[in-house]
Amino acid sequence: MTTSWNETQQIEAYIFGTAQPDEILLFEAKLLLDEELTNKVITQKKAYDAIRQFGRKQLKLEIEALQQTLFTHPKHRSFSQKIIRLFRKS
Amino acid sequence: MSINDISMQQLINSNRTMDRQELFTNLYKRAFPTVAGYISRRGGKLDEAKDVFQDALIAYYEQVILTDSPLNNDIGYLVGTAKNLWLKRYGQSNQHLSLDNVDIALPTQESPSSSRLFRFLEIAGHKCLEMLKSFYYDQMSLQEIADEYGYSGPRSATVQKFKCLEKIRASVKQKSLVYDDFME
Repeated sequence: MTTSWNETQQIEAYIFGTAQPDEILLFEAKLLLDEELTNKVITQKKAYDAIRQFGRKQLKLEIEALQQTLFTHPKHRSFSQKIIRLFRKS
Repeated sequence: MSINDISMQQLINSNRTMDRQELFTNLYKRAFPTVAGYISRRGGKLDEAKDVFQDALIAYYEQVILTDSPLNNDIGYLVGTAKNLWLKRYGQSNQHLSLDNVDIALPTQESPSSSRLFRFLEIAGHKCLEMLKSFYYDQMSLQEIADEYGYSGPRSATVQKFKCLEKIRASVKQKSLVYDDFME
């Protein structure tokens, strides 16, 4: 059980390209023999993908909140008015 | 060193939400008027300007944080990216589609499967996902992760990080069995 996250760490190093050349060789040999390991590599890549999407979604929420403040808070009044004037139909 | 460089440095050092807000406010005020002016002159709407500028900020954040490389011209990057995005999304009648050589690593549209997967992941382990996001997306250090999430140190944070990653990986696996059938 102690080696579980070691393997995950090895998969990470392999995916991110931070493993040493000899480690890569060994790992690729294991991949040929171990279908489960291959599946783990695939799902771990998807996991990184999901994390990135989650990160973007959170960041977008932060930016939306900031935008809201910039266009409604009295502190930013001169900024928001300047922008709104740009879109006013004359 | 400009004000912007300083806040950028703070962001890289600490990655705290507050610094990020300060930086984004600064960038917003400096770059958005140019973008808004450009779009309004071409008959676009304020909402369109806001929409593309949001994505430009995300692209900027990923460019700078993920590659750990401050840009020479932050404002130019933001303005260029936002203009290009607007032309692509809204400016179909425009003749001079001179898409500059801006490297846009862009928020692609999420496929239905990924957004569904996503909801599932959030239920499966929101705290894990938050922590993994801090590490992989915001590039916080293990020490910062330890401080933020209450682990004893970088070593303990490392173990937790991989355990969480395994949880998410298991969710991905479980979920893919369900929807892969009708996605392809």
